[in-house]
Amino acid sequence: MDILIPDSWLREHLKTKATPRQIAEYLSLCSQSVEKTTKKDSDWLYEIEITTNRPDCFSVYGVARELAAILPQFGIQAKLEEIPENKIRMPEVKNSLPLEVKIEKSSLCPRFTALIFDNLTIKPSPKVVQERLKKSGVRALNNVIDISNYLMLELGQPMHTFDYDKIKGAKMILRESAGGEKLTTLDDTIRALPDGSIIIEDGESRIVDLCGIMGGKNSEVDESTKRVLLFVQTYNPMKIRQTCQKLAFRTEAASRFEKGIDPEGVILAMKKAIDMFRKNCGARVASRLIDIYPKPPKPKKVTLTQEKLNRLMGIKVDLSEAKKILDSLGFQSTINQQPSTITALVPHWRNGDIDIGEDLIEEVARIYGYHNLPSRLPQGQIPQIAKNPLFSWQERVKDMLKYWGFMETYNYSMVGESLLIKVGLNPEEHLKITNPLSEDLVYMRTTLIPSLFEVMAKNQAENEKIRIFELANVYLPTVENKLPEEMPMLTGAINHGGFYDAKGLLEGLFNELAITNVNFSPYQLKKTLYGKLFHPARTAEIMIKKNSLGVIGEIKPSIISKLGIKGKVIVFDLDFNELVKHITNIKVHAPIPRYPAIIEDLAFVVPKRTLVGEMIDEIKKIRGMIVSVALLDSYQNTRTFRITYQSFKKTLTDREVEKVREKVVKSIGKKFEARLKST
Amino acid sequence: MNINKVQNLKNQAISAILEAENENDLERLRVHYLGRKGEITQLIKELPSLDPEARKEAGHLLNDVKRAIEQTLAEAKGDRAAKKVDLEKEWLDVTAPGKKTTLGHLHLITQAIREITDIFEKIGFTRVSHHEVEWDWYAFEGLNMPFNHPARDIWETFFIDNLKNKKYGEGVLTPHTSSGQLREMEHTKPPIRMLNIAKCYRRQSDVSHAPMFYQFEGLVIDKNIAINHLKGTLDYFAKQYFGPDRKTRIRPYHFRFTEPSFEFDVTCIICGGKGCRLCKEGWLELGGSGMVHPLVLKNGGIDPEKYSGFAWGWGVERVFMMKHKIPDIRLLFSGDLKFLNQF
Repeated sequence: MDILIPDSWLREHLKTKATPRQIAEYLSLCSQSVEKTTKKDSDWLYEIEITTNRPDCFSVYGVARELAAILPQFGIQAKLEEIPENKIRMPEVKNSLPLEVKIEKSSLCPRFTALIFDNLTIKPSPKVVQERLKKSGVRALNNVIDISNYLMLELGQPMHTFDYDKIKGAKMILRESAGGEKLTTLDDTIRALPDGSIIIEDGESRIVDLCGIMGGKNSEVDESTKRVLLFVQTYNPMKIRQTCQKLAFRTEAASRFEKGIDPEGVILAMKKAIDMFRKNCGARVASRLIDIYPKPPKPKKVTLTQEKLNRLMGIKVDLSEAKKILDSLGFQSTINQQPSTITALVPHWRNGDIDIGEDLIEEVARIYGYHNLPSRLPQGQIPQIAKNPLFSWQERVKDMLKYWGFMETYNYSMVGESLLIKVGLNPEEHLKITNPLSEDLVYMRTTLIPSLFEVMAKNQAENEKIRIFELANVYLPTVENKLPEEMPMLTGAINHGGFYDAKGLLEGLFNELAITNVNFSPYQLKKTLYGKLFHPARTAEIMIKKNSLGVIGEIKPSIISKLGIKGKVIVFDLDFNELVKHITNIKVHAPIPRYPAIIEDLAFVVPKRTLVGEMIDEIKKIRGMIVSVALLDSYQNTRTFRITYQSFKKTLTDREVEKVREKVVKSIGKKFEARLKST
Repeated sequence: MNINKVQNLKNQAISAILEAENENDLERLRVHYLGRKGEITQLIKELPSLDPEARKEAGHLLNDVKRAIEQTLAEAKGDRAAKKVDLEKEWLDVTAPGKKTTLGHLHLITQAIREITDIFEKIGFTRVSHHEVEWDWYAFEGLNMPFNHPARDIWETFFIDNLKNKKYGEGVLTPHTSSGQLREMEHTKPPIRMLNIAKCYRRQSDVSHAPMFYQFEGLVIDKNIAINHLKGTLDYFAKQYFGPDRKTRIRPYHFRFTEPSFEFDVTCIICGGKGCRLCKEGWLELGGSGMVHPLVLKNGGIDPEKYSGFAWGWGVERVFMMKHKIPDIRLLFSGDLKFLNQF
């Protein structure tokens, strides 16, 4: 969370000659990050991002305290000024106005303090208060409300003021909300209070405060207020946070309370408030201080060894140096010998974030200056780890597709229900996001194909020929207490050319990866994902022995028309893990034949629906001299094959070739009822 | 037949051809030697009258001679033909566009991942991958972020319906690659130099946030790993990726799973560090890093008294969007070919 701090206010607490630029730079280097420094009239404004672990820095005073430790490290003197109001004595009040307080569970409110003021006049705050609030981004309202805002910004302690006369029965019960109660808060909003919210009810059982977040309208300070009840408390951070999350509502006060407020800082804030009420409102303290603080936190001691300090900082830092730094931050540390350690008493404002030795190392190292530490590469051994082959093959395959004219796309892993339904997929078979960002990002993809359809549809108007692919995980649910299977898929889509163009690409791919024994066979399942998407007659399953690598085929016209895609789309969808398994990493040399080949073309007349792939396989089975078989031409019922005969031992004679040819004709004739076409 | 005479005839013919001045001369020479009544032809005609032994020898010889003369003639003619073409008169418009070849494009994220991987592999990192759908334990709890801790706020996390494990909590989409840290520690013993580049998901969408994005996470665990090694490694990366003139710095920050934690800055690649609209006083924030929290080491089964480590997890898109001047991260996932075509 960012806060705005005016330079002039900061310097009320910090005496230093550092320039605003130096303050911004050194604070960023050693503590909280100054996001922006802007000039405002004769003043400067620091916009500072405060990390969640440092609620103590959520204030002008907290930042000044950090700078008092940091600036001297850069050779600039800096002194944190004492807060004069700290010396104020709590006034003795004879006829204390009554307030009965009952806290149902002490864990809800670790420290409860309250004080009543009377005799006050509501008017605008003094100019300096108004200006400081304005520069810090808070609107000035009146002298009473401004005090609570002012002190929250200055000391980091949120507070709340009630009109004392609106608290019925001078009685307060602090409890958890239950059973769906309601409260109209100061911003005139009726809020349904989540069960477990910390609230206060008065003597007539009216809820008057949503504690730590916003007060009730029914007890607000207004122009006719004469007596004010001031609250300075700390609340259970977790409770405040839960309520804010459930309400989806957060105030400045709440975002401080949910990070933890130092209960030891409460009295200082109360004293400063007394002073301001007197000066700004002409008020008089009209009650004794109510201070309910059953369990003050015990002082915390943390020990750090010299060995660990040196090990993590990578240089030797004397413990005396470490002590100097820690003490400058408010720790009280002592050095111990044998073993050499330093024990630090944690200042109360750091109670929430210092627990272990490593926390002390951070304190020492950041003030010592990270910029003063050397910079070098790790010196140890390089781990010997088997590489995951997936990555390098992934890049090889992407390169091939790129040079074959494919565009690589990255699509969201989530898709919407309407897309799934359009392509005939059942949303219930997908992992569903509980809190999706929008309705088109709800289900985790089980296939990349629909995403590619969307890209196709989006771009077809401007691109006649589209070749796209994506290589990404799909997410297949298993059982409720097991993580889904994440499976990398290589999926491509083409809107021009036909089945054989796409198949040729895959054959090229397999060839380049030295994947052999690939078999394309007609895809026949109807109820599978593929069966739903792909054309029943124009789709092949790609197999290697008994393992399915995926499919290639034309998408059903009914599917693509639902997506507004014109023409036809050929898709290939490969299981990338399976593909990698079959890559033959090293291509092996085959001897180069020394004797000439004899090449001849054989044309067969075949019955309808004869599979050429099977014919080629059959011809190849006749080994010996046939070194390659290719489909030369396919016209009507004629398939012409180019067959290459060759021997490694001698030049083949016509007679020898003739014998092999006879075998081919016979076997093809028998198996496929095909006959050699006479020429 | 006198073999010497034949040999001489050949030499005589070749030198005459080489000296010939024009095509007429060449044609005349061809007729003289190889024409129907040419000298070589005459000799070939005589062959049948020789006895078999002599005939074979003379036959070979005459064949060779004939072929040599033919070849010389052909070369001489070609030479002359080439000389005759006046290259000066030819014209080709070399400015006309070439015939288009189909070239595809790799996505910018792929290109960046390659570059990042190359840089870290050189110093001994190995690329790994872990779950994208992960248990709360690995994404938060085991990384020292208890349930409902405010530190979780910056990771606006997507949860998965009906995915729950008694031991590991709810199923989430990994909001950062840091969930890979514990996974890595579980199956690898130190020394560890992990590079985990993966998809991450957060519930946000604006020009610099997409609900899905990539991070690259580094994790180094070994004996005596110190802050200076984190500085050295990240400085090496910044100089390799953005150029050797970059300066870098680390600043204090807070993450629950590292202690101390840092933000890593590099001098602005636009203004070079002078300060401009895009940067903070000359510095660009690249991302978070830190020394692995002892509790996280313990949760990963590694003894924090023996080993220490550092880690960082940065947005892949963040580092390259500056370089390529990409105005909106969501363009990367838009599937708009007009955009993808440019890289």
